[in-house]
Amino acid sequence: MAWASYPTREEVDFVVIGSGAAGGIMAKELSSAGFSVVVLEQGPHLQPGDFKHDEWDYTQNEGLVWGRRKGHPQTFRRYEHEKAEIVDGAALGYAHNVGGSSAHFSGNFWRLRPIDFMEASVLGPIAGTNFADWPISYEELEPYYTKVDWEIGLSGVQGPWDPPRSRDYPCPPLPVKASGVLLERAAKKLGLTAYPEPHAILSQPHNGRPGCIHCGFCNGFGCEVAAKSSTLVAMIPLAEASGNCELRTGCTVSRINTDASGRANEVVYWEEDGTEQAQRARAVVLSANGAESARLLFLSASARHPDGLSNGSGMVGKNLMFNGGTRVAGLFAEPVNAHKSVPTTRVIHDFYSIDPQHGFYGGGGIDERSLSRGLPMSAALGSSVFGGKSWGSEYKNSLAREFTHACSFNGHTTSLPLSSNNVTLDPDVKDKWGRPALRTTFMNHPDDISTMKFFFDRSMELMEAAGAIQIAGRFSEEGQRGGVHLLGTCRMGNDPANSVVDRYNRSHEVPNLYMVDGGSLVSSGRGQPTMTIMALAFRAADHIIQAARRGEL
Amino acid sequence: MSDTTLSRRAFLAHTGTAAQASIIALSVPMILSASTQARAAQAIQAEFTSLSANEAAEFAAIASRIIPSDGTPGATEAGAVYFMDTVLSGSHSDQLPAMQQGLISLQALAQNRYSSATFHSLTPAQQDLLLTEIEDGQFFRTMRFMTIAGTFTLPEYGGNRDEIGWKMIGFEDRHMWTSPYGFYDADYAAKGE
Repeated sequence: MAWASYPTREEVDFVVIGSGAAGGIMAKELSSAGFSVVVLEQGPHLQPGDFKHDEWDYTQNEGLVWGRRKGHPQTFRRYEHEKAEIVDGAALGYAHNVGGSSAHFSGNFWRLRPIDFMEASVLGPIAGTNFADWPISYEELEPYYTKVDWEIGLSGVQGPWDPPRSRDYPCPPLPVKASGVLLERAAKKLGLTAYPEPHAILSQPHNGRPGCIHCGFCNGFGCEVAAKSSTLVAMIPLAEASGNCELRTGCTVSRINTDASGRANEVVYWEEDGTEQAQRARAVVLSANGAESARLLFLSASARHPDGLSNGSGMVGKNLMFNGGTRVAGLFAEPVNAHKSVPTTRVIHDFYSIDPQHGFYGGGGIDERSLSRGLPMSAALGSSVFGGKSWGSEYKNSLAREFTHACSFNGHTTSLPLSSNNVTLDPDVKDKWGRPALRTTFMNHPDDISTMKFFFDRSMELMEAAGAIQIAGRFSEEGQRGGVHLLGTCRMGNDPANSVVDRYNRSHEVPNLYMVDGGSLVSSGRGQPTMTIMALAFRAADHIIQAARRGEL
Repeated sequence: MSDTTLSRRAFLAHTGTAAQASIIALSVPMILSASTQARAAQAIQAEFTSLSANEAAEFAAIASRIIPSDGTPGATEAGAVYFMDTVLSGSHSDQLPAMQQGLISLQALAQNRYSSATFHSLTPAQQDLLLTEIEDGQFFRTMRFMTIAGTFTLPEYGGNRDEIGWKMIGFEDRHMWTSPYGFYDADYAAKGE
């Protein structure tokens, strides 16, 4: 079988906007179920063999993550009374290619736990926030987490406090690195438990793909051997093989049109050369990510939907969450070589929920990483980490030690959902297509900062216990200025007054429109959201297929 | 058709024209890939696309103070200035005017402090003193960025010749590793932890 081809002026069953973590799954599931699907993707269809270890292009020249240089400026401000300024690169970062950010992620795949879905009920409301329970439970999502394990392809082992699973991981954990040993030994000293980090990276062949060759270029890079379990390699080939899917790359959507009855009926987009097209569809799946899906809903405003499509609640774009992060770097006597292999191999989840006695809400995990993602140029740009000159002989002579003898312990933490943290259309700045730029307004809730401080302190203790010779650390005490986990902007809920999609990711307002991506997350989780985004996508697809077969779409 | 659609089309028509014009303007360097360009620059040793000979000599001198050749190869041997020339005529051409302006200011400082019209003719000690004076400014930050990028880049962009930068920090350009990767994981395996 090969890619299908559909005329734009005839209705297909589904248009899927975006081919990333969620869109890739939607494309595969819907097309494999026999429905005709057109996928619209802004970026190119790079193949694994196209990915290079080109640090200049990927980290400094917007190779995968487009920003100002590629004609996609974004603006940022802290508070709504301020004027947002254009940022260098992207405040809300995501990869523009088939597979989306799943092609360049680190693949740290943590399931949420039962508590994540009902935390507001357990802890009570938090003043000034939109902290809420999910409309679904862990038990409802568990079969889909397992589907992610096996169909996307995960490596790991059940940890001591992991939520119950219906089936083991398909592949064993990836081999521990020196940096992981340092974290594990430090944890033991402090009475904590470090166990193998679960990965969406294959440790051995699975589903016709090879195991990892440990090249070290995961985070921010595409995998040239297809061992990383992106939708690019795990789902898109199956969508193609269905014979029911057409993948149109270089296509940027400008709006979703609705008919007189308020149903989505057409998706308007530009081809790479600027030619405008419109694809008719029976239903639309919007999986453009937690930033772009909201922008597209705003851009799809009409007389019937004056504040944006599906935005009767006013919640579209709001509750933007990133997950907090902290880093403590340590220099060691012997070689660590954290730049080799996957970014991290051990994780500590003893602080999944910080005791409320501390006076703030939060939780997270700590894992180990290389400094500056183990990339030579980024490491040199970031030095000297442990103090000293940042140029000249002293600097030059510190580089090798920092590159080969250091690692960091990183905290990954909760973010609270706030109405004042949001994505909107910039009133002045336009992108290369003339669309209003993504404008981010973001200042962490004080509890986010307290949580980061807590994880920073624990990481310092761990680094001391690990025996580091020198220690240096940082976190965003003044608040984060962007992120790559783009969450909360089309939140899921039972009440159309305060949520955008229902428990199956269906728009409360437009019955044949589904928003399936990080936007639907009600809470941030503890730091690694993609596994949940994928599980929600499998679940939404299941529901859509059943509804469509019953003639309900 | 709505007014928005019309204006969007008009915008596209406009950007289309602008893009075509810039493609014509850039056609000569773009015919050669960045890497071919860089290799050509390496072979000729003297010809630069975006930098004048004087600018190249000055930038190279600054780069050699940021990552000096102090017993082991530095930014000079890595050919960082060739990388600068490559990217300043392409993806980072928007930074060239500010860098040229920054250089003029640095040369004025060299004139003022040491009565020298150029930076590269100063002694290393004098150069370090001047750079220390400007190290908190944007020009120095850009020069540091360009020097480091040019020393540690994929060699296709003209810098990091013979992988000098990578060797400097102990990075090997390999696509495959097997465990153990460092001391502590080897020790962990040996002790059967």
